[in-house]
Amino acid sequence: MSLTDLESYELLHAPSLAALVALVADRHASGLHTVLLAGGTDWLVEQESRPPLPSGVEHPVVLDVSRMPELRALEVVSGEGGDRLRVGAAVTYLELRRSAVVGERAPLLARMAADVGALQIQARGTIGGNLATASPAADGVAALAALDADVLVESVRGRRTIPFSALQTGYKTSTRAPDEVLVAVEIALPSRGAPFVWRKVAARRAQAISKVALAGVAEVEDGRVTRFGVGMASVAPVTARLPTVRALALSRPIAEIDAASVDRAVEADVSPIDDVRSTRDYRLHCAKALVRAWLRQLGARG
Amino acid sequence: MQPSVGVSVPRVDGAAKVAGTALYVDDLPPLPGELHGVTVRSRVARGRLRGVTFDPAIDWSDVTIVRAEDVTPNVVALIVDDQPVLAADVIRHAYEPVVLLACADRAKLARAAAAVTLEVDPLPPILDPEAALSADAVVEGRSNLQKRYLITKGAADVGDEASLAAIEAALAGCEVVVRGRYTTTHQEQLYLEPQGLIARWDDHGVHVVGSIQCPYYVHKALTKGFDLPADRVHVTQAVTGGGFGGKEEYPSVLALHAALLARKSGRPVRMIYDRKEDLEATTKRHPAICDVATGCDRDGTLRVLAMRVVMDGGAYVTLTPVVLSRGALHAAGAYRWRDARIEALAAATNTPPNGAFRGFGAPQTIWAIERHLDAVARELGRDPLDLRRQNLLTIGDTTATGQKLAFSVAGLECLDKARADSGYDEKRRRGPVATGRVARGIGAATFLHGAGFTGSGERNLKGKAAVDLVAGGRLLIRTGSTDIGQGTETVFRQIVADAAGLPIGAVDYAPVCTTHVPDSGPTVASRTIMIVGSIVESAARKVAARVAAERDRAGGTFAEAGDRLIAAGEVTELVQYVSPDYVKWDDATYKGDAYPVFAWSCFIAEVDVDLDTFETTVVGFWSATDVGRAVNPVLCVGQIEGGALQALGWALTEEIVWKDGLIQNPRLTNYIIPTALDAPHMTTALIEEPFPFGPGGGAKGIGELPMDGGAPAVAAAIEHATGLSLGALPLSPERLLAASRRNAL
Repeated sequence: MSLTDLESYELLHAPSLAALVALVADRHASGLHTVLLAGGTDWLVEQESRPPLPSGVEHPVVLDVSRMPELRALEVVSGEGGDRLRVGAAVTYLELRRSAVVGERAPLLARMAADVGALQIQARGTIGGNLATASPAADGVAALAALDADVLVESVRGRRTIPFSALQTGYKTSTRAPDEVLVAVEIALPSRGAPFVWRKVAARRAQAISKVALAGVAEVEDGRVTRFGVGMASVAPVTARLPTVRALALSRPIAEIDAASVDRAVEADVSPIDDVRSTRDYRLHCAKALVRAWLRQLGARG
Repeated sequence: MQPSVGVSVPRVDGAAKVAGTALYVDDLPPLPGELHGVTVRSRVARGRLRGVTFDPAIDWSDVTIVRAEDVTPNVVALIVDDQPVLAADVIRHAYEPVVLLACADRAKLARAAAAVTLEVDPLPPILDPEAALSADAVVEGRSNLQKRYLITKGAADVGDEASLAAIEAALAGCEVVVRGRYTTTHQEQLYLEPQGLIARWDDHGVHVVGSIQCPYYVHKALTKGFDLPADRVHVTQAVTGGGFGGKEEYPSVLALHAALLARKSGRPVRMIYDRKEDLEATTKRHPAICDVATGCDRDGTLRVLAMRVVMDGGAYVTLTPVVLSRGALHAAGAYRWRDARIEALAAATNTPPNGAFRGFGAPQTIWAIERHLDAVARELGRDPLDLRRQNLLTIGDTTATGQKLAFSVAGLECLDKARADSGYDEKRRRGPVATGRVARGIGAATFLHGAGFTGSGERNLKGKAAVDLVAGGRLLIRTGSTDIGQGTETVFRQIVADAAGLPIGAVDYAPVCTTHVPDSGPTVASRTIMIVGSIVESAARKVAARVAAERDRAGGTFAEAGDRLIAAGEVTELVQYVSPDYVKWDDATYKGDAYPVFAWSCFIAEVDVDLDTFETTVVGFWSATDVGRAVNPVLCVGQIEGGALQALGWALTEEIVWKDGLIQNPRLTNYIIPTALDAPHMTTALIEEPFPFGPGGGAKGIGELPMDGGAPAVAAAIEHATGLSLGALPLSPERLLAASRRNAL
């Protein structure tokens, strides 16, 4: 509808992360909006469907961050608490798919990335963009929820870490301040070979937004779950972290967990809706079926 | 000379399309002074238009505005003159055009369109076609019953009024009676290139160029719309990125809109729809509700068919009567019936007019009859394909309209071929195979599709085509038949080359412009190769005969003899289609030869159904189709596989989501068609049972046929895998889940 006025936008590149956060802060202080453009896979779609901008108003400034080196890290950082994977905000899904270290140490991310959009979207879309647009249907965010990622943000006030559990506050809202720039996510790497699950339910095999998607990672010792993370897309106003399911999984030997208690836990944790893609009923059914299958994979009954 | 027919020569338009150099309408360079045009639509499904306000914050001085009062006569000329070019005071669907705007600056045009406010008093919309039949009028002064057909045979052939009781009596006399209801939904054509067109006026009249399937339909609409003599309307087809019926009637509306803006502004006007507008406003496949009752013997011999079809025509009649007719004529499927009563109705509703889409009514009724036969097989404890084989029409049988089949009938061969290729019998015997939580099943559909216009249509249409002799021993085909991606340009060249004994490289295809090519009839109804191809073949033979006579007289090569003829005057042959004598049809009783010939087919699908999520994956697809003669086997297979994939989309995922008459999913991201990743491997066999009157040694029309069998084959496979029998499309996971709960009760 309104790609016609796109050419009047100003597209800028910041020379450094420090310059970027300064510019964003400056403009924010003056009440001006700044678009940080990574892959553009969400933003361009929004531009197409919004009403045309009135003439005479100042058009948004668009800052291309897709090639900013400070946002492009993809590395394992060793520390006292064990190895951590750092994924820069401008790392694309295709890079996640192709990265040897991700494939070996965080295969959930690689597997998820292969299901995002299709190859063209994977080549442009970024993990930071997925977090910034904050759709509850985001596949990447469900995986980050399962991995209990820390989100690193930077502003003129400095850098801080937001644990995933403290990030989302409601539909497309978060605790990240408007002038804070997403820099990276960090993940405490699960043990090598730890079981994981990625299951996306969508209307077709590519180019489809999830009706429901489940990400999960676990560590199991002597029949007990010692680490358990899940994230689910498209079943709540935010990415669902399924706290009741988490508590259930950690509460007793895995073999003692039965299907009925899993179903009850899932029902307590999700609140899906009817929309253009699916129904509340179907989503609830899938949410239960997927979590049951995941816990069976770990050794639960039924 | 190597023959061209039967050889998969490369498409002549292929290289330019692959290289991206083909010029579609929006690729054409801007004309001097050109404006962009846009349409302001109602956004209310039904109401009274009180007024239109134009926000004074916009400087309107460089914006051309066209409203209903600028349009005389305010009607789109088609079968029934009920559709206004622009709504004047009554709103009858949510995408009704009300105001047209044009401006040189596209960004300003978008702002201007947003600054037009329509003041509409909304009325409760009529959205259910069955309820519409007894509701107040959608179009004042007209019945909501847009059209009704009745086909009767045998015991039901006792006049309209007595026929219903007669068919019920015949059913009551049968050993096994099965009843069912089968429904289908809207389907969007989703051609790659959205609709678009450029209009301009000059001393010669009005010129339009655009993405057009039927240039002479647009020609007629402009001639009537502007009261112009035929020679002052010039319609040119640009390279067209698909149509599937969607560019059959709608470009007439777009042409009127663009020409109105161009006339008022005195400038060329370009109107290109984006995907959303195209999906919302242009025609879609008619939804249908089919109530079926059949009676048969305990041994499976089908005897009696009663079907009542209600199609949703949308707000205006457009091509609905013709779509409904084809639906009714395919309702009996590919089977013998002693007694039949088929009643077909179309109802007006407050939704955008539905129109032509590949299959043209037949996929809806074939969905019903094929699903129903699966129910009959279940009732009898028979294999569904065995039951079909027992009852398939063959030479000497008569159809529901009393058409006696005399030649080119290969339904049985198609069934046997697809059955063998797919391993159907072994897979059915094994029963559904479950691997973990995934169940695999296989199912089939057999069907026919009438090629060419219905009944006396071709005789009335009098399609024409010409072949010219050109200097240097070349031939030029002049026809109104358009290549919209299906390969007409290539296949016509093959037919002409063989008819004249020339290499295909010596044959050219004239750009399709109504000023320079004759009216060959529309590019629809699986008629292009079979009907127009035969005229083109005949014209080429006549030209070649003249050259041959000249060579006999004075010698020389084809080119030398041809050039001597041209030096003496223009050499061209214009041929008009002559319907074969045997084709007899009575429009009053709907009896006789509904089509000159039918193409026959069997589709078999194998699916995996996830028993946790009810997602269906088509893992195998086999078909065998009697095409008469494959002029270009690769293109022929391409038509069948492309159509089958389109049918799989209709079967599994495609659904327009409506709310109060407005479309909730007008985007590629949420109107879900299959992608390449969703396409199964297809094994496609061609059976050649020649049609004696077909070109190239017996070609039949197969453009629409592959749309018919995909959905029932998939539904049968899902039923085999899961035991869930669905009668409503699409076969979505949500519907399967609901069905599994009903089954569990």
